Amino acid sequence: MLRFTMRRLLQMIPTIIAVALLIFVIFSVVPGSFASSLMADGKTASDPELLARLNEQFGLDKPVYIRAWEYLSGLAHFDLGTSFRTREPVLDVINDRIWASLKLSIAAMVFAIVIGVPLGFIAALRPGSVLDSITMIGAVSGLSMPQFWLGLLLMYFFALVLGWLPSFGYGGGDLKYLILPAITLGVTPLALLARTTRAGVLEITNEDFIRTAHSKGMSNSRVIRWHLMRNVMVLVVTTIGLQFGSMMGQAVVIEKLFSWPGIGSLLIDSVSIRDIPVVQGTILVIVLWFLLINTFVDIIYAAIDPRIKQT
Amino acid sequence: MLKTLRLSALLLAATSVMALAQDVTPQSGGTLNFVAPYGSSFGTMDIHSSPSTQDEFPAKAIHRSLYQWNSTDGKPELELATEVKASEDRMTYTFSLRQGVTFHDGRPFTADDLIYSYERIAKPSNAFPGARYFQDVAGIEEYKSGAAEHISGLKKIDDNTLEITYTVPTNPGYSLMNTNAAIYPAGAGEDPTFIQHPIGLGPFKFVENIPGSKVVVEKFDKFYKEGQPYLDKINVVLLGDASARDVAFRNKEIDTSILGPTQYVAYQADPELSKGILEVAEVYTRHVGFDTKKPPFDKKEVREAFAHAINTDLIIDKLVKNKAYRATGWLPISSPSYDPAAVPVTYDVELAKKLLADAGYPDGIDVAITATQNESWGLTIVEAIIPMLKDAGIRATAVPVEASVLAEVVPKGDFQAFMWSNLSGPDDYEVLKCFYSKTPQSVCNYENFSNSEFDKLFEAAGKEADQTKKNDLMRQANNILQAEAPSWFFNYNKAVMAYQPWVHGLQANATELAIQNYEDIWIDDTAPDSRK
Amino acid sequence: MRRFNLNLWLGGVLTLLVITGAVFAGYLTSLDPVFDANLMHAEEAPNGQFWFGTDEQGRDVYTRVLYGAQISLTVGIVSQIINSIIGLSLGISAAYWGGWWDDFVNGLTNVMLAIPSLIFALAIMAVLGPGLPSLLIALGLTNWSWTCRIARSSTLSLKGQGYVQAAQTLGYSDIRIMATQLLPNMVGPILVISTLGIGSAVLAEAALSFLGLGIRPPFPSWGSMLTGARELIVVAPWAAVFPGLAIFITVLGFNLLGDGLRDYLDPHMRTRQ
Repeated sequence: MLRFTMRRLLQMIPTIIAVALLIFVIFSVVPGSFASSLMADGKTASDPELLARLNEQFGLDKPVYIRAWEYLSGLAHFDLGTSFRTREPVLDVINDRIWASLKLSIAAMVFAIVIGVPLGFIAALRPGSVLDSITMIGAVSGLSMPQFWLGLLLMYFFALVLGWLPSFGYGGGDLKYLILPAITLGVTPLALLARTTRAGVLEITNEDFIRTAHSKGMSNSRVIRWHLMRNVMVLVVTTIGLQFGSMMGQAVVIEKLFSWPGIGSLLIDSVSIRDIPVVQGTILVIVLWFLLINTFVDIIYAAIDPRIKQT
Repeated sequence: MLKTLRLSALLLAATSVMALAQDVTPQSGGTLNFVAPYGSSFGTMDIHSSPSTQDEFPAKAIHRSLYQWNSTDGKPELELATEVKASEDRMTYTFSLRQGVTFHDGRPFTADDLIYSYERIAKPSNAFPGARYFQDVAGIEEYKSGAAEHISGLKKIDDNTLEITYTVPTNPGYSLMNTNAAIYPAGAGEDPTFIQHPIGLGPFKFVENIPGSKVVVEKFDKFYKEGQPYLDKINVVLLGDASARDVAFRNKEIDTSILGPTQYVAYQADPELSKGILEVAEVYTRHVGFDTKKPPFDKKEVREAFAHAINTDLIIDKLVKNKAYRATGWLPISSPSYDPAAVPVTYDVELAKKLLADAGYPDGIDVAITATQNESWGLTIVEAIIPMLKDAGIRATAVPVEASVLAEVVPKGDFQAFMWSNLSGPDDYEVLKCFYSKTPQSVCNYENFSNSEFDKLFEAAGKEADQTKKNDLMRQANNILQAEAPSWFFNYNKAVMAYQPWVHGLQANATELAIQNYEDIWIDDTAPDSRK
Repeated sequence: MRRFNLNLWLGGVLTLLVITGAVFAGYLTSLDPVFDANLMHAEEAPNGQFWFGTDEQGRDVYTRVLYGAQISLTVGIVSQIINSIIGLSLGISAAYWGGWWDDFVNGLTNVMLAIPSLIFALAIMAVLGPGLPSLLIALGLTNWSWTCRIARSSTLSLKGQGYVQAAQTLGYSDIRIMATQLLPNMVGPILVISTLGIGSAVLAEAALSFLGLGIRPPFPSWGSMLTGARELIVVAPWAAVFPGLAIFITVLGFNLLGDGLRDYLDPHMRTRQ
């Protein structure tokens, strides 16, 4: 088991290096610079001397291959560089934001699980029924909405029309600020979970071991409780893992809409002011999160079903 | 029509100032939830390194600069000094520093702190935006090249006297009043904990910074102005999104808000909210600039045709919702060199067509307008003028860019026409320099403007010591700008701040309305309990 | 006997509706989406003249939604074609040739899966600048990994089949075998994933527009219309509701169509998904 875990973790390294290089290359040819973004509000006139000095200070005057090398060797020491804007280590900048992102991801996931899984179960109890059709078309609808449009509509009704919830912001961490962004972010995983749960239940009810259990004379309810639950859970947990892993990337638009101070809004802000070290750092964190959760899911999977290890 | 508009605007500004003046004895105590509306985060607590208005919100509470903008008189005035003596040639200034001023940690303020702070700002390896404030100080070249350890033009006479020597006639107030020219305690910038926990001369002490949410400051008891500040505490709250700010203001969660066009209309219509609106003509000019060296805009007729083709008043009325003042030339209404007699360009499609034909383009022209996604000076406006221009035979397309790209391509001359909002005050002379033929495009002569008559007037204004005569010369220069039309002068921004009824002492700051001198603000007994 | 395939029918009808709107936009409205702007009619609620109301520029929202369908569908379909071409050629060739090429393609696919496609597209848009061609490239380059995986696994299972080996012994070139023997056998699953991909591309366009990196205004895409209407949500909610509904109906249509196609092509899957 330990060897398997180690192997999976080591397999992440080339992917991370490739991602880091790819991001580096893309953002080394991007037009606009941090220095020019300082003049963007029209308040300060362009200052060629300042531009040159800033580029020198940030090492942007060096050739690309040298910067790439410095960047990668920094990464090897877990050094993500220094933010152009705050002139603090990128790790500190990210550390300030990551907890808000985690909070949002967890809340959205909880919302998706609490609603999505029971919905899938209910739909699967009577496949082909009206209830089933409605649930599944509802799930596809959830996957078909632009997230920020949904967020806008929620904001409009719950904050402006009804006045129940604050429309945006972090509010020092109060729970009520979390509700709207979490629901908006949770709709996609909710829909996927409902579909997966339904599919899992239907698939397993057709399989042999249930029939075997029946033939052994176990009662219907016990069959459902013991076999069905456990096997569906494996499938559901996998989906949860995958969704949870990609959530930080998905949250970008929602964080921007709700002014949520997480990694996603940090990324968007940093792209617009060309704070490249922070852009690279946040993307790496998002990718790393995805890979770690996936690996973790694989490991759990392998622990439950030892055949997986062979592949 | 326009004159009445302007008049009523001025009246309004006057009444709001009066209303502020009528407030009798200010009360002490309470908490203010002040909004920082320009983004979802603060960049840095090291204000020397930041040119952004957003970072000024906390910095303005914590720090002080040698000069400060006086919103009532409309000019910079001494703040950390009680007296300044200027030499005849306006090149040497001797400041007698204010006595009994201390930093938050109790250290007394001396000339050493000024010199330290200015040298830190000017230090080439720091690459701070304020370095340009010292570009004309004597000895700056030696300092920049590393030949001198200090700037010889910054001279300490004694602890309470500083002498600054420039190489050209200068008015130091406009640059040294900036928040990013703030005074730090000598040596503090090199202490890594200082940036996390800044110390300054301002009316409020830094308490905490919750990234992405707010900065909290509390009253500094030993502030040098007697009885001030009035407030015990200020939460400088981050609220970038306009509709979100609207909800928070209506819920009384915040005490001030900056309004966009849509909300401006809504607040004016509301009997309660309309009582707490502060408006000011800010020193920004919104315009579409042309490269006057490249065809077709090298022809004056084409530039004029562009302006005549647009129904500017309609756009200001319907799209900008009158949250702007119609522009004539470059200098805004608040400028002493503004010409009240100037008449804006008329909307005349036939004239526009004729001008195009006269210029040799009877079949019209194609033009690409580079612009950012901005509702007041970006793509929203460009979208509105495209159909209007088409009627006159100007086939315009939009080139959408990000803000950082706009600021890169325009100084490079990589555009046909661009839309931007640029600072047009309060230092008229410095602002007009951007149209002086010797100013390169890469600095701020984005239109590549070159006009010998303008140059003569501008040079004369630079040599003129008498302020009235200088203003007159600059007024003439500005009128040449209007006639030569290097830009379609669209509007001057009207900044609008909403405030709760219990807030008093706000200033109509024309340089940037959202930036306030916090020590003058106070709240009365009608404030909700959460503010007491 | 097949049961009534609700997904296929409903999806087909919705998709057809949207395609009709896009193709016949010029006949369904007499106005121009860009130049028929009248600020005197700005922010009017839906009425007899303007069925969906007008936006802040005084343009007819109905007209813009119709013309917006052209742009949004172009973005969805063209970017998905690019994705399919990349995914298929990489996937089939990787499985067929194997060796270092297979390892390389696998690695590349893993990298693409690890970077969220929206963020990747955002980066490409920042480099290329806003506009329709950039959008097609950005969305066409970032969403091929699933196609690639399916093509690869199908090829692996088909490679050993008799007719592929027969083609090899006949001396057919590799490219010819891939194009004529392997490709036709995976049309079904690829069609399903492409249909779903069109839906996600339409959504991605909206998200990129929201982040300020969409097409060039004043031409209407649903994403840019939504973004522009964001500020108007209180005073003119119709300007945001109709383009949002249009996106919703389109993506729902393609998603249902994709699900329906899967059921249709693989009846065994029917009860499971």
